[in-house]
Amino acid sequence: MSEAQPILRLDEATIKFGGLTAVNKVSFELNRGDIFGLIGPNGAGKTTCFNLITGVYKPTSGEIYFQGQPIGGLAPNKIATRGICRTFQNIRLFSALSSVENVMIGAHLRHRVPLVGALLLAPNSVAETKALQERSMHLLELVNLADYANHRSADMSYGKQRRLEIARALATDPELILLDEPAAGMNPQEKEELLYTVRRIRDELNKTVLVIEHDMRFVMGLCERIVVLDHGEEIAQGPPDAIRNNPKVIEAYLGEPA
Amino acid sequence: MKSFWPVRLASIVGVVALCFALDRAVLAAAPAQYRLLILASLFVILAVSLNLINGITGQFSIGHAAFAMIGAYTAGTLSKNPAFASMPHPQLLAVMTLLGALVAATFGFIVGLPSLRLRGDYLAIVTLGFGEIIRIVTNATESLGGSYGMPVAPKVQFLWWSLLLMVACIALCRNLLKTTHGLTFLAVREDEVAGLAMGVNVTMTKVVAFVIGAAFAGAAGAVLAHTEAFISPRTFPMEMSFIILTMVVLGGTGSITGSALAAVVLFAIPEYLRTLTDAQGKAYEMNAGLFMGILVAIMIAVAASKWIQTNVHEKGKKLGFYAGAWLAVIPLGFLFQTILHLSPTLKTLAFGIDILRYAVFAVVLIALMLLRPQGIFGHHEIGWHWFRKRPVPATEGGAA
Ligand SMILES: Nc1ncnc2c1ncn2[C@@H]1O[C@H](COP(=O)(O)OP(=O)(O)OP(=O)(O)O)[C@@H](O)[C@H]1O
Ligand SMILES: [Mg+2]
Repeated sequence: MSEAQPILRLDEATIKFGGLTAVNKVSFELNRGDIFGLIGPNGAGKTTCFNLITGVYKPTSGEIYFQGQPIGGLAPNKIATRGICRTFQNIRLFSALSSVENVMIGAHLRHRVPLVGALLLAPNSVAETKALQERSMHLLELVNLADYANHRSADMSYGKQRRLEIARALATDPELILLDEPAAGMNPQEKEELLYTVRRIRDELNKTVLVIEHDMRFVMGLCERIVVLDHGEEIAQGPPDAIRNNPKVIEAYLGEPA
Repeated sequence: MKSFWPVRLASIVGVVALCFALDRAVLAAAPAQYRLLILASLFVILAVSLNLINGITGQFSIGHAAFAMIGAYTAGTLSKNPAFASMPHPQLLAVMTLLGALVAATFGFIVGLPSLRLRGDYLAIVTLGFGEIIRIVTNATESLGGSYGMPVAPKVQFLWWSLLLMVACIALCRNLLKTTHGLTFLAVREDEVAGLAMGVNVTMTKVVAFVIGAAFAGAAGAVLAHTEAFISPRTFPMEMSFIILTMVVLGGTGSITGSALAAVVLFAIPEYLRTLTDAQGKAYEMNAGLFMGILVAIMIAVAASKWIQTNVHEKGKKLGFYAGAWLAVIPLGFLFQTILHLSPTLKTLAFGIDILRYAVFAVVLIALMLLRPQGIFGHHEIGWHWFRKRPVPATEGGAA
């Protein structure tokens, strides 16, 4: 039963900001283990879709189901607890903290000694912190940042910060991870490594991945299915080959000056 | 891990013994300073507890004195109750401290609520307003003594108690930062949106910070009430909130040790200047001139160090440059003193006793904000790791 049901389902999800309908009746489904792409020209409503799924905004109408449960309008931290985590297009790291501390904050979600234990520095609290630190180090290794564990996150390069965001999101041990333009600002070699990392996240960590990306080569090479938005509307959905040759998609991109 | 409880127990016993020993030592060697040291430790508590709210959790709260005031009036009112009044003094003080903390924590919860919706400047205005409301209401409440204030009986002055309280406050905050729990507080400070996305319960974290911060301020207030044996709205003026805030900002927002150190220094400076009489005028004028001169020289040395840090890369050369810059402080100080004394107007302007008290404060602050806006210690703690080579994250370090 739970194998057959989609892990994430958007059912005519809609959000309006005043007169602007940023996301208009968008529906799509992700199955467990998918690497799913969300593309579209600038301002199409992709990031807003992520914000709806992660609870930053409440849908004006429509519903979002995660593992069969409606989650539209739940608080973002509740949704993270249910098992959806994300990265941010405009990188939002805890800048004054080190890389490993950033990841540990993600990791705190799944283990928790009561606050009193922390205040009194009880042995289990210390042990927990140690365990989380180790787990975080493993995740830093996964994204090739182990050597930067103690670096202040704000001082690292753009590409490293993006990878750190992925490690931090993974640390919450999500079922579904949302990546908002993870390859932006990366050089070709970094992109190649990222491609490999995302595949590992799916194959080795058994996560489902939803990715927004402008780099078409990257998206087409990575995703098995893609949904295309334009002006908040869903204009196409399907495997990469079908999307590439879809006249509506070509028009949406060519009609765009950018 | 197995040796945890014996070590913990030993360190607690050690701290208690140390507090008692200090208490006795001060009584024997400098009884005149006994009360001042109690007040200083209370200010450390106030600064460190505000640092939890402002520096660690990033909620811009001013008006911290109000929580101390609530604790003080709680103690002042309840200690009149015969059931408490008959207690031996140590028990009485302990109970009053606890009750002051509880009542202040309740108010902390209420003040914490707006922080869930308001950010930055707006929250600052609300907390400032809260502080003023508490003061004005007390001023107008006859049963609390109104503007005349209220005598608090019995007068209980225990340095050991305020020291213990201070250690507890510092230890709790420091423990917090050693665990992942503490990291979630820092996450709220750094980026709420990202924190939420990582599952941090931002609401809860903010309220907890306010409740704990207010509780310690309330405890300090209760001790203050019994130390002074008299409280009035004038004991807790708006300036007091600003001074506490200054201690936190000066020490480096987020740095516990920085806040504590800044609290001691900022408490000591005006107290020292207060002890000066006109009879000491001449000598004092010279000292003050030198003090101001050295202050200016230090500012220059800090600026120079910054320049050296970025521009000189060879290790030996760097060390020499640093030494030169800091050695120059003393002669430069004397030079500036001479210059100041050349002009009679500058002299009177700078060295009127009252003016100077504020001037020193202001100059220190301005200098700091110009040279090091993140506070003297920034987000860092003072500790043994300064002497280690490897950089250590906030969550690592020696246990207990
Ligand atoms: N909070 C908001 N208030 C008002 N308008 C908003 C808000 N958030 C997004 N929008 C608008 O919604 C539209 C979609 O924005 P969104 O950020 O989702 O685009 P995007 O597809 O992620 O684009 P890009 O590729 O540039 O990141 C834009 O026109 C944007 O201005
Ligand atoms: Mg976007």
